[in-house]
Amino acid sequence: MRDVAIIGAGMIPFGRRDEDTLMEMLAYASLKALDDCGLGDKTVDAVYVANMGGGMLQHQSAIASSLVDRLSLMPAAAETIENGPASGASAIKAGLLAVASGYYDYVLVVGGEKMREVTGWRATDVVATMTHPQAEYPYGITLPGMAGMFTRLYMEKYGVTREHLLAVSLKNQEMGTLNPYAHVEMALDREGIFDSPDAVVNNPVSADPLHLYDLCPVSDGAAAVVICPLEMTKAGKGGQKTPVLIAGFGQATDTQTLQERDDPTDLKAVTLAAQKAFEMAKLKPSDIDVAELHDAFTILEIAESEHVGFFKKGEGGKAAVAGKTRLGGQIPINLSGGLKARGHPVGATGVAQVVDIVWQLRHELPKTRQVQKARHGLTVNFGGFGNNVLAFVLKRVEV
Amino acid sequence: MKKEIAITAYKCKKCGKIHYPYHDRCLACKNREFEPLKPEGDAKLLAYTAIFNLPWGFDQRYLILGIAEFENHIKAMGQIKADSVDQLKTGMLLRPSWEPIRVQYGEDVYGLKFEPVE
Repeated sequence: MRDVAIIGAGMIPFGRRDEDTLMEMLAYASLKALDDCGLGDKTVDAVYVANMGGGMLQHQSAIASSLVDRLSLMPAAAETIENGPASGASAIKAGLLAVASGYYDYVLVVGGEKMREVTGWRATDVVATMTHPQAEYPYGITLPGMAGMFTRLYMEKYGVTREHLLAVSLKNQEMGTLNPYAHVEMALDREGIFDSPDAVVNNPVSADPLHLYDLCPVSDGAAAVVICPLEMTKAGKGGQKTPVLIAGFGQATDTQTLQERDDPTDLKAVTLAAQKAFEMAKLKPSDIDVAELHDAFTILEIAESEHVGFFKKGEGGKAAVAGKTRLGGQIPINLSGGLKARGHPVGATGVAQVVDIVWQLRHELPKTRQVQKARHGLTVNFGGFGNNVLAFVLKRVEV
Repeated sequence: MKKEIAITAYKCKKCGKIHYPYHDRCLACKNREFEPLKPEGDAKLLAYTAIFNLPWGFDQRYLILGIAEFENHIKAMGQIKADSVDQLKTGMLLRPSWEPIRVQYGEDVYGLKFEPVE
């Protein structure tokens, strides 16, 4: 198997993009990644497109075939990858395996989703189709609802408090104000959403015990990377910027319903995916300089920070309050603003997480978001309610 | 007339593990043979939430949902008949019933509902 490097990365600002179609967003992000690596007008061998809801939201199928046509990348191979909110990381995995095997050299991976053209009511339903079609979906369960149940159990078992959740929310929205690609560029005022009597109105319960500002927004957006064998970057054929090695990768699944897990607070797939990624990279959690975790709900940043091994169980919330996950802290998490502020166009998220870590490892970000001398990064892309999880360990390649 | 609870769980004929919903292979021992099992008695509340941003198809202000475990250890999700989560507590006893849980294409869809036992 060949070592595989990311040589190009691109993203378009997330948010409400009424002016763009899904295909336009995918094309813009792709062109940014292609330009970033200097491939110019050359083609790639294959294109993997991550998208979860195009069939339901845009009534559009065979999206990858359409994209290669739009980008004039024929006769490149093209596939659409659908794996719920983990579609982005799954598409990168598909590209990684194809290049590592020696079958393809240059692969474009792009993830995108356009969710804001339907009502919140409809978007919530589309995302809820991930739940079990007989045992869960008919009852009206939503992903925030699953997270609400999980949060209460986590609070009861590990002593997580609303104060802990608030620390994640404040941090990530503050980072969002520093990220021009973020959907929500608005810092939160603790008084207004937590301490004052007005907080009941400003920050109402959304999925008890989670409140509005514990949830990520529904977003439009797209992100892309270009990958190739590491050996080609050494031969000068792999782009013009510092390559980032995909040093480790892991994926694991769990039961679809929470009720069938022996311990519903145990995110086994997160633990296993991260362990596999660390093992492959020959690194440990303490070697990681910066992480992008899947904080669709504030509780998930806390729980994932424990399950990947940054903190012991029950310590993640306290660590967030103590500032250990901020820039300059023990392990900076979600300096992009995370899903909480950058937004969560479901098919794009896993790719966007990797793009943000690539920028960190190339040392390209402004000081307010850049981890100094960052060498190793981790991403966790969380599908369903933790029933399909992918993790990547990325490593800066010194040239 | 009170309707029978129309869910069926499946007990592995080899190791005894109870599954709901159905799986083609046992989650514990991979065996493929099961005996059907109907829920019995009241149920213990394991997890719950109230959701205020409902999906398409629900025309109401909020919905209280939970997971409960029946006396014969079947675990299932259902809607909870309560005004607020303040009336609920993990571990409390619930009485199950089979009632309309939503309307689809003009027809009632039936499912599990739970009500706190006084």
